[in-house]
Amino acid sequence: MTNSNPRDLFPGALEMMILESLRRQPAHGYALVQHIQQRSNNLLQVEEGSLYPALQRLLKARLVKAEWGVSSTNRRVRTYQITPAGMRHLEKEISSFERMLAGIALVLDPDKSTAN
Amino acid sequence: MSWIPNLFRRRALYNDLAEEMRLHLEERTEQLMRGGMSRMEAEQAARRAFGNRTVLEERSREVWQWSTLESIGADVRYALRQLSNSPGFSMTVILSLTLGLGANTTIFTFVNALLLRPPAIADAGHLVEVMERNAKASGIEAFMPLSYPGYVDLRDHNRTLSDFAAFDGDPHPVSWSHGGEGEMVHGQLVSNNFFSVLGLEPALGRFFQPDQDKNGRGAPSVVISYPFWQRQLGGDRSAVGRALVLNGATYTVIGVAPRSFTGVIIGTTHDFWAPLAATPTLIREPHLMGSDTSFWLFGLGRLKPGVSQNEAQADLTVLARSAHSSDPKAAVMDASAFPVQLVPAPFRGYVVAFTSLLMAAVGLVLLIACANAANLVLARSTARRRELAVRSALGASRFRIVRQAITESLMLSMMGGAGGLMLAYWSVPLLLNLKPATIPVSIEAPFDWRVFAFVFAVSLLSGIAFGVVPALGSTRRDLLPALKDQRLLASPRRSRLRGSIVVAQITVCLVLLISAGLCVRSLVNARSIDPGFSTHNIAVTQLDPGSLGYTESQDRQFYQQLLQRVRALPGVSSASLSDYLPLGTSRSMSEVKIDGVNPPPGQDMIRVQFAAVAPNFFSTMGIPVLNGRDFVPQDVDPGATAVIINQAMATHYWPGRNPIGQHFEDDKKNVEIVGVVKTGKYRSLSEDPLDFMYRPLGSQSQEFLVVRCGANEETTMSEIRRVIQTLDPNVVPMEMESISQYMALPLFAAHTTGLLLAVFGAVALLLATIGLSGVVSYSVSQRANEIGVRMALGADRLHVVRLILKQGMLLTGIGIALGLALSFAATRVLAGLLYGIKPVDPLTFAAVSLFLGAVAFISCYVPARHAASIDPMKSLRAE
Repeated sequence: MTNSNPRDLFPGALEMMILESLRRQPAHGYALVQHIQQRSNNLLQVEEGSLYPALQRLLKARLVKAEWGVSSTNRRVRTYQITPAGMRHLEKEISSFERMLAGIALVLDPDKSTAN
Repeated sequence: MSWIPNLFRRRALYNDLAEEMRLHLEERTEQLMRGGMSRMEAEQAARRAFGNRTVLEERSREVWQWSTLESIGADVRYALRQLSNSPGFSMTVILSLTLGLGANTTIFTFVNALLLRPPAIADAGHLVEVMERNAKASGIEAFMPLSYPGYVDLRDHNRTLSDFAAFDGDPHPVSWSHGGEGEMVHGQLVSNNFFSVLGLEPALGRFFQPDQDKNGRGAPSVVISYPFWQRQLGGDRSAVGRALVLNGATYTVIGVAPRSFTGVIIGTTHDFWAPLAATPTLIREPHLMGSDTSFWLFGLGRLKPGVSQNEAQADLTVLARSAHSSDPKAAVMDASAFPVQLVPAPFRGYVVAFTSLLMAAVGLVLLIACANAANLVLARSTARRRELAVRSALGASRFRIVRQAITESLMLSMMGGAGGLMLAYWSVPLLLNLKPATIPVSIEAPFDWRVFAFVFAVSLLSGIAFGVVPALGSTRRDLLPALKDQRLLASPRRSRLRGSIVVAQITVCLVLLISAGLCVRSLVNARSIDPGFSTHNIAVTQLDPGSLGYTESQDRQFYQQLLQRVRALPGVSSASLSDYLPLGTSRSMSEVKIDGVNPPPGQDMIRVQFAAVAPNFFSTMGIPVLNGRDFVPQDVDPGATAVIINQAMATHYWPGRNPIGQHFEDDKKNVEIVGVVKTGKYRSLSEDPLDFMYRPLGSQSQEFLVVRCGANEETTMSEIRRVIQTLDPNVVPMEMESISQYMALPLFAAHTTGLLLAVFGAVALLLATIGLSGVVSYSVSQRANEIGVRMALGADRLHVVRLILKQGMLLTGIGIALGLALSFAATRVLAGLLYGIKPVDPLTFAAVSLFLGAVAFISCYVPARHAASIDPMKSLRAE
């Protein structure tokens, strides 16, 4: 089964990536998927649809806001935008994520402990 | 949190989401098509890349949901839709449950009214009722009220009660003279501290003063009940201070009892309360207060803080024993203290026995109803296999599907509960009306929170009971065959389950029907008992002119004129007087001494029940005089010695001899037997022949008038009323009724039990029939293929009918066999209620079994006929 649930791997990872993408520029769902897949060099094979539950969670927490509009390619799209609260949340998440990553890196490879 | 606006915004949110996902897929498809795919390939690839859209959409929605509650709401909505899609199924289940739950609610309403509901007294937990108890006797016979001196002794010397009141257990009919006429009202005699011990506050005016009966100053006073104040005195505030003429004496109204106060004991309604000091004038028993051998008062004590009921009982027992110790012959009397309840402890046993019998009966009815529901749900869940498989395939978890199924059962059972409540709302007043109007007892059966809680709990339990098993079973299967709509033969495990449910239904139904049959036959027997007097064309009433202050000669003159005028009424053939009616509640015993006869072991005297009757009593009541003569007016002259005995007494004490002319000592007076009358029933219809003796009726104030009349008793009764009115408008005829109305009381218990069990039996039979025919019809529809094959291979219709009948009758047979076995054990409980029939009556057992078998046969035959009409071609082609 290819039904890999991103939350199983890393709770909050998908949300963080969405927020990070939106911080660069507002986007609609499809564009977000494209962006994440391209940026990760297709290493992250996110099931496209799994974006939507994550987006709903962010909407509910008021970290992003959404608006219907028309895209540059003249499609009807729902564009998401990061809110100030989303910005703050992202900062916090990134710093805690980095600390965690550093910790994991230390455990896995103590020799390269100065990498950061 | 912001979920409140979400509740309203949610539909828009969901629409946005669905639209967004659709657009996403569209964009991906277009992109893939630009890459050279065909539209179809592109759409499939887009969907694969997207993932399970339904699951994702649901997970997205969950974000917004107030999850558990909301999904329950969804379940409820879905269940409602499902149920309204199959109205036949839903109605059958709901009606089954309505009958079952309605019967339970009805009986429980009475259990609540009699046993659970507390009296409307604040702080009842600190009150005790006190009676004396014979340590050697058992049951209700052991309990005895207190005498007035006995009460005073306990009141003044106890160390455990802060205050001790007393009240007369019986309501006294009293004639209230107003506006030139008399009206019968009921009063209760209470000690002055009665209301203060109960902790009641008057609605108006005040209650009795503690020292009132000691100095006896001023006009005697009464407290009136709230309904009496409202109805008879117009609810006027000036009612306090008003004078009431009760039994000829004047009493001042000093207060009105609170509205909620309906008495300490259930069933007694009082229009007023009078202090015990009024006993001699109000009920004209001047010796009652001083007598230590008249036991007529209930004690009512308030416990001192920190004192338990048992401590109070121990304290009072010491006092009671020391009071009796001077009399060595007296039985050992303990005091008994018990909680203040609407049905006091000594009588509870009987009420519990009676109501638990009925609860058991309705419990069985509910069991059958639940079995019906379970069977129908089971049949439907098999039919809904495909729907459930689709839902599983779409990602519904097993838990979710089971929960959905249970939601449906609970919806059904709750609707059944609501129906049952409505049924009870209608049937409870109907049952209350079964009580003969002439019994001066009123019972309230309110629908309070206990009744609602009971209905809710029982509905919930039934819903779970008939919902869980089929729900669990319905999810345990392979999806594929169901999705392919393969018509599998019903699995043997499931049809065995359904079969055993039907067997259980028939078993329970037979037990109920046999019990009902026994009670109905017992009622028929009771009705055909010869009470020893005529049970039609007699009017009876009770009069008490003495209550208006008549002297003895005035009494005599009144009754002489009354008899004269009543005898002259059209249609009246005879009329007489007595101080007693057979099967009444009062009982007078005399001690007699008969030459050559020893008293029964353990007693120093022969005790014989007696009554005093006027001439023509026997001919009026239709009691045959077998030997000798009736009384004549001269029999009451001084020095006259005539008595009349019944046949039972004659054969008991003068066997083989002519009793006429025999002498014996009655109440220390030498008497001569002048007549022998037929033995009748005196205390209860089921008693064995009892010795009975009649004395001539001298002048008494309180007497029964018995009148033999034509078929139109009502007309005669109103004529008698008119005659009494012309003689003295203040004399109130009490409880005027025809003899058949009078007989309703002794037959009441048998009548009610027989009727209720017959109704419950009929309901059970109906439900079991529905269950059986449902199961057989269902198996016919499941076996349509098989039947088609059999017929194609040459089986004739008769063979098919036999095939189906065999299945149904096998289940019936097992059910009846089990039911008979269970009935042997179960009907023993009824023994005490049955008259003239044994609990294991072969005729009833056989007849009811045959009857149930016949009904079962018919309910199988209809679907069997249907099976035989199956067109083999059609059923095979459907494969």
